[in-house]
Amino acid sequence: MKENQKKAWLFLAPSLVLITLFSIWPIIRAFLMSFQGGPLIDMHFNGLQNYKYIFVDPEFWRALKNTAIYAFVAVPVALVISIALAWFIFSKIKHTAFFETMFFMPYVTSTIAIGIVFRYIFNGEYGLLNFLLKAVHLPQPDWLDNPSLSLVSLIIFGIWSSLAFNIVILMGALRNIDPNYYVLANMYGASDKEKFWRITLPQLVPTIAFLLTVNIIGAFKIYTQVYALFNGQAGIGNSAMTAVFYIYNKFQIVGTPGVAMAATVVLFLFILFVTYLQRKLMKKVNS
Amino acid sequence: MKQKSKFRWGMIFVYLFIAIFAIVTVFPFIYMILGGLMSYQETTTIPPTIIPKNWNWSNYQKVFQQAPFARYFLNTFITASVTTVVTLFTSVLGAFAMTSLKFKGKGFVQLVFLSLLMVPGEAIIFTNYNTIAQLGLLNTYLGLVLPFLTSIFYMYYLQSYFTAISPTIYKASKIDGASDWEYVWKILVPMSKGGLVTVALLSFISGWNSFLWPLLVTNEDSMRLLNNGLSSFANDAGAQTQLQLAAATLTVLPVLIIYFIFRKQIINGVVRNDLKA
Repeated sequence: MKENQKKAWLFLAPSLVLITLFSIWPIIRAFLMSFQGGPLIDMHFNGLQNYKYIFVDPEFWRALKNTAIYAFVAVPVALVISIALAWFIFSKIKHTAFFETMFFMPYVTSTIAIGIVFRYIFNGEYGLLNFLLKAVHLPQPDWLDNPSLSLVSLIIFGIWSSLAFNIVILMGALRNIDPNYYVLANMYGASDKEKFWRITLPQLVPTIAFLLTVNIIGAFKIYTQVYALFNGQAGIGNSAMTAVFYIYNKFQIVGTPGVAMAATVVLFLFILFVTYLQRKLMKKVNS
Repeated sequence: MKQKSKFRWGMIFVYLFIAIFAIVTVFPFIYMILGGLMSYQETTTIPPTIIPKNWNWSNYQKVFQQAPFARYFLNTFITASVTTVVTLFTSVLGAFAMTSLKFKGKGFVQLVFLSLLMVPGEAIIFTNYNTIAQLGLLNTYLGLVLPFLTSIFYMYYLQSYFTAISPTIYKASKIDGASDWEYVWKILVPMSKGGLVTVALLSFISGWNSFLWPLLVTNEDSMRLLNNGLSSFANDAGAQTQLQLAAATLTVLPVLIIYFIFRKQIINGVVRNDLKA
C-alpha cells in the first residue's frame, strides 16, 4: 500500500518556507559571498581573494589558535570536573534533585548578565578573586587587562558556564545504569573506587563521547562569552579574539562581508568535520 | 582501624569537592543580587563587601532612569513569546506531517532536516542579517523574530512525543470523521502536553537570552532587547558597578523564577533531547 498524502506538504509548508529562506538560502549565499568583494550593497566576484586574505591575516590565525586552545583546554577540564561532581552527587548525596537544580542554573541564565558579575569578580583592583588570592599569599594578576591572561580568564569563565549542561546529562546517564551491577559489585565487596572505574566509567563512555564532541563544537562557536567578559571587545589588543568574533568584526565593524563569509565557510567546514567524526565515534562506541 | 580512617578522609574530600563547586556555581548569582543593592563605595572597597550595610533599592530606580529598561523588558517579552508561540504552531504541524502522514519525498525532507541540524547557527546568522536588511526589516519586531519562527530541532523533539502515540488512534479518529486539523488540535496536542510545555519553556528561555541576532538587526535604543540593552548599559554606566549588577539582576531574575517553578520539565527536556541526538 503506497500512499501519497499530498496534504502533508500543506502541514509542512510554513516550516519549509521559513527553513528555505533562513537556513538553506543563507548557506548557499555564504558560499557565494565568500567569493565576492566590496561592501554589502555592492558586492562583485573577486575569486579566491578573500580566502587568500584570511590565510595570511595574522588576526585570523590568532582567532583560530585562541579558539583551539579554548576548546582543547576548557572542554576536557570541564568534563573531568563534571564527571567527578556528577558521580559524587549520584553516589553520595541523598537529595540529588537539589544539587542538580543548583548546578544547572548557569545553563538558563544570560551570559551577558553573568559576564558582568565575572568582570567584577576578576577586577584587578577590587575584585573578589584577587582578594582571595591575596589571603593565601598568591600573586594577584590583572585578569582582564593583561593581554597574556585574557584567554585564561575566558577559559575559567567557560568552564564555569559549561559544567551545568554536562552535569545534568551525566546525571541522566548515571540514572540509566542498571542498578543490579552495583548490587552485584557490593556482594563481592568492591570498593567505591573499583565500582567507579569498572562499572560507572565504562557505562558512561557513550555519554562522554557525546559531551566531548558537543562541547568542542560549542567551543568553536564561542562568541557571547568573550563579548560579555571583555565588555564588547575581544580582550585588550584583541588578545581573546575567537573565530566567531573575527567573523563578526569583519562583517559588521570593518565592513568586509566577503572576508567574513570566507572565514565562516572555513569554520563551517571544520564543524562539519567534527560532526562527522562524532557520528563515526558514536557508531563505534555504541556497537 | 586504618581502613576506617582512610574511608573518612575519602568522604571528607568528596563533600568538600561538592561544597566548593556548589559555592563557586551559586556565588556569582548571590553576589550579583547583593552587589546590586550596595552603594558604589561598598562595591569597590578592599576587603570586598559581601553584605551591604543598607539595602540600596534606589539603585533599581536609577537603572530605570538611566536606560529604558522597561522598554527592553517589553521588547524581550514580545519577541520571546511570539517566537515561542509561532514556533510551537509550525513545529506541531510539521512534526505531525512527518510522523502520521505518508507522502512522496518524505525521505528527502528528512535527509534535508537532518543535515540542517548540523549547520551551526553562527554560520548563517550573518547572511540572514543581509536578508532582513534587504527586506527592510531592521529595527522591527518582525525582523527580530522572523528567522526563528520554526525549528527543526523542536520538530524532532515533538516527533519523539508524537510517535509514542499509537497510529491506531489516528486511524480511529479518521474513521470517526475527524479531519487532520481536528486530530492535531483535539487529540495530538492534548496528548503531548508534556512535550509542548518543555518546548515552550526552552524556546522562551533561549529567546529571552538571545544576544547576537538582536545585536545585528537592531541599532535603535527603542528596539533593543534586554541583553543588548544590558551590555550597552554596562558600557555607558562605566564605573557604576552597583548599577551594572542591579541591571544584570533584572535581566536574570525572570528566567530564574521560571526555572525554579519548572525546573523538572526544563532539566528533563534538556536531558531527553540531547540523549537522543
